[in-house]
This record gives sequence, structure tokens and C-alpha cells, in this order.
Amino acid sequence: MQLEYFHLIDRIVELKADEKRIIVEAQVPKESTIFEGHFPGYPLMPGVLLIESMAQASGWLLLGVLKFERMPILAAVKEAKVRGSVFPGDLMTIEASLVHEGSGYAMTEAKIRVDGKLRANATLTFTLIPFPNSDMRGHMDAVARRVGFPQQAVSS
Amino acid sequence: MSSTFDQVATIIAETCDIPRDTITPDSHAIDDLGIDSLDFLDIAFAIDKQFGIKLPLEKWTQEVNDGKATTEQYFVLKNLCARIDELVAAKSAGA
Repeated sequence: MQLEYFHLIDRIVELKADEKRIIVEAQVPKESTIFEGHFPGYPLMPGVLLIESMAQASGWLLLGVLKFERMPILAAVKEAKVRGSVFPGDLMTIEASLVHEGSGYAMTEAKIRVDGKLRANATLTFTLIPFPNSDMRGHMDAVARRVGFPQQAVSS
Repeated sequence: MSSTFDQVATIIAETCDIPRDTITPDSHAIDDLGIDSLDFLDIAFAIDKQFGIKLPLEKWTQEVNDGKATTEQYFVLKNLCARIDELVAAKSAGA
């Protein structure tokens, strides 16, 4: 996880495009300037970053389901619940599933677990847009390789 | 079974917190009811689920942007309901 770059997802553990489901891992760093302020003496992963983590997990799922033909952009957050704290050094396992793929939009449900315990969940809405330019597409391809995006998921 | 309009009006009322009695077949979802594009996604989701269809929002938006259609054709509720009925009929014919 590179918090400064908003690269929150480290590894795609499983992507089942046919089941419209993904599992990813995100290792929270032990140290970050974010934790110096949030909070001094009691560092916690900010709730908005938990939501962003679920959005990024959902994003990889949608890229797989859509075979990289569209880029998902977070549009709405519903029913987000932070059920427990996530601390520096925790390994988050994030599962996301596709609730509905509409015309130009999609909705997902996502959950964050640490050591098997549910820490957060949310229902998210995305708009699905064409990749804005080749640089963006190239960047996503590079990140896809870094997180182990299964290319066979989009080649069939 | 309630009409397509009744179902759509109920969806809009519940999704956007708009008084049901202010929603008529001649209401324009955007101009009269003040529904924005993001709120309309929630309505489209509910319609897609309830009617088992996929509203072609991208196609409609493109047609409006290209000047090939007006927003009234798709977003005045009686017209929206006619489109829904067509999509349901097409799905039934193809099933």
C-alpha cells in the first residue's frame, strides 16, 4: 500500500469475472504521515480510506467484468459502515461483488475484513466511462501488472 | 397489477423523496422534478431491477447530445414508461 499515491490495493487474490466477485489484499503500512495526525498516540486507518479501499477493490472487479473496456469512477457511497478500527500493520482482505451492471453505471457491495473479522462494508455506485486517454490506460495496465491482475480474466 | 407509470412514480417518490402526488405522466424528470443525473442512476437501478430490463441510458444520452433526440422523448414520464414497456415487450419476445 502506498498511501501517498492512493495505491491502496497490493494484490488481487482472486478475480472471478463470471461470478462477478473479487478478493484483494491491502497491507496497511506501519508508518505513514497520515497516522501522525490521525491520531497522535492512537494511529487509525481513516474511514474515508477504508471506503476508498473498497472502491478500488470494486474498481478492479469492474475492470475485469468489463474487460478493461470502460473505466469505473466512484459516483456514490451508500450504507458505508465502519464496524471496527483498522490499525497500522493490519492486512485487510477486501471482497467486492457486482450487484448490478446498468447502462453506463454499476453498483457493488464490498467488505473489509482483518483476521476474518468484518471491519467495514459499503454499497458503491460507479459511472463507467471510456478511458480518457492512452496515458491513463497505460497507467492502469502498469498497475494491473503490479497487483497481479489475471490477464486471462479479460482475454476470453 | 399496477401500471408502469404507477410503479415508476413510486420508485421516483421513494428514491428521491419527492411527494408522490406531484409526479404526473407529464412530469419531466429533470426539468420538473429536479432529478439530476446521479439520482437518476438510483432510479434506473430500481427500474432495471423491478422490470428485469436494462435502460439504455448511454444510448439515450448520446442521442440527446448528438441532437438526434430530445430529453422529452426519454425523460417525460409517460414517454419513459412507453420505453420501459417496449423494453419489457422486447425481452419477453426474445425469451
